[in-house]
Amino acid sequence: MQFFRYVVTAVMIFLCFPLSLFAAERGEYIAIHKEGSGKITLALNKLDVPVKEESRLAERLDAIIHDGLDFTGLFTMISPPINVKTNNSGEKVVLNFGALDSVGAAVYAGGAVSNTSGSITLYMEVYDTSGAKLLLNKTYNGNPQQLRAIGYAFCADLIELLTGKKSIFGSKIVFVSNKTGFKEIYECDFDGHELRQLTNSHSISLTPALSPDGRYLAYTDFSSGRPALYIRDLSEGKISTIGKSGISIDPGWRNSREVATTLSFEGDQEIYLIKTDGSISRRLTFSKGIDLSPSFSPDGNKMAYVSDRNGLPQIFIEDLPSGQVSRLTFSGRYNTQPSWSPAGDKIAYTTWESGSEINIFVTGIDGSGLKQLTEKSGENESPSWSPDGRMIVFTSSRQGSKKLYIMQSTGENQRPLLQSEGEQMQPSWSKFCQ
Amino acid sequence: MKSKINGIVILALMVTAGCSSRSAVTAPEASGRQAPSPKISSPVTPPETVSLPTASAPSSSASLSGYGFDQWQNGPLGDVFYDFDSTVLSAEAQNQLKQNAAWLENNSANKALIEGHCDSRGTSEYNMDLGERRASSAKEYLVRLGIASSRLETVSFGEERPFDTGKGEDAWAKNRRAHFVMKK
Repeated sequence: MQFFRYVVTAVMIFLCFPLSLFAAERGEYIAIHKEGSGKITLALNKLDVPVKEESRLAERLDAIIHDGLDFTGLFTMISPPINVKTNNSGEKVVLNFGALDSVGAAVYAGGAVSNTSGSITLYMEVYDTSGAKLLLNKTYNGNPQQLRAIGYAFCADLIELLTGKKSIFGSKIVFVSNKTGFKEIYECDFDGHELRQLTNSHSISLTPALSPDGRYLAYTDFSSGRPALYIRDLSEGKISTIGKSGISIDPGWRNSREVATTLSFEGDQEIYLIKTDGSISRRLTFSKGIDLSPSFSPDGNKMAYVSDRNGLPQIFIEDLPSGQVSRLTFSGRYNTQPSWSPAGDKIAYTTWESGSEINIFVTGIDGSGLKQLTEKSGENESPSWSPDGRMIVFTSSRQGSKKLYIMQSTGENQRPLLQSEGEQMQPSWSKFCQ
Repeated sequence: MKSKINGIVILALMVTAGCSSRSAVTAPEASGRQAPSPKISSPVTPPETVSLPTASAPSSSASLSGYGFDQWQNGPLGDVFYDFDSTVLSAEAQNQLKQNAAWLENNSANKALIEGHCDSRGTSEYNMDLGERRASSAKEYLVRLGIASSRLETVSFGEERPFDTGKGEDAWAKNRRAHFVMKK
């Protein structure tokens, strides 16, 4: 739960600065980042505390903010020079922008935290060091249990300010883990923290996917003895099923009201659109053989999916209004698990290479610009984009058993997402960031 | 599981199977659907058994050997095996299904659940679909032999419930199967 609203940010900032100046600053930083000039060098100062007893609180919050910002891959994180603050007499603190500039910092962030009878207050300031301009000053409140949310709220504001886009802070990842001996569904924060078990069916639960608004969790569950689609209302706990014979597997949301999945009750395995109450909206595919793994363009008008109509599985795109189908993948014999990027211009998928190597590729939706993101690292599967499109979460067996990994959507900086017992697989990143 | 009585028989079969498969499958590619013990099973599966009512009534050890039987299947209905990414029924698989049909004809009170299984290679969602197509291929064949569709249920476990958890073609071949479970 987050309790900071952008309205508050906007009001506070507009009170402090003329609108035009802010817009100009914002535009400048967006431009800097878009040019691909690399990372933003950020000098993040340690938080001040009014009394010594709160220094541990400040250290914890320092780590949350530092690690959160570092996780995004947007920043080169540096410590500010020792003499960053000058004229440190009395109330007025003046930043030494010359010193910040000389260590290469483009942006400076610092502030203070206090704990007043169980209420945490974080005050943060952000400066553009070259122009010595204040870009953001804002206060965040919460209780001590919400320390991570408090820190992340600042991180979210900072990234939106500097890049002009929503950040990944507040987004969730759902996935499958067998650490209890059964495959159950779990969720965690975008960075692997706040791990939580969502199902306890002692059966086989697979392929979870959160609706874009975060209200519903769709997944496949074997509790009835066969693979059935469950649509769980996360606020009310109510579960809807389809109630058809045959299998229903691997759901993909088209929007927050409709989820597509493969059903076989008519004999062949076809993809259908399902409403959140479990009723069938309409059938989307009409080819003989396997049709599987729907993933939709952001506007919901196009669907990427797997079909073995030509023998081995390949990825196809269907234009829903016209019903027209085109084949997307031509290299690789076995291509599955399409994931449509949030910006709408790319599709990530997996190719099963010879031997036991599976790799993740990204291609333009017209098939151009094919790029291989993983190689020679075992089975890399189930790519899913972050809501800002900058990162991809996936499964890899590079260290032996299957675990969750994360990388920039360019393929850079591949690293484990979380340490947990057993195997983790089939991650799906939420579309929402709240 | 319930294989205590036949432990020795099975052990012998496994040893034989290991030898025969190694010699039979030398190509590294996944074309070898080697049955656990194809060489010693010839008396069990004449294709004509479909029309012979006597082919059923298994007196354990006879029906427990052969193509469709191993430590995970000790009858009376034998399992069938598939090539990689295939739902095609081989001649041996068809023979086993004819035998199963004969047994079901003579035991009309019994129903069967046919589980479709896959090896661990490839991606798991695709294998879930593939497993269902395998179960369906076995069911369709039995229905064509005259078994009522209502007596045959199918389910896919994809790659979720492997019989042999090892890696390599020997294990994979055992996991690419339609597995028969009796239902009263």
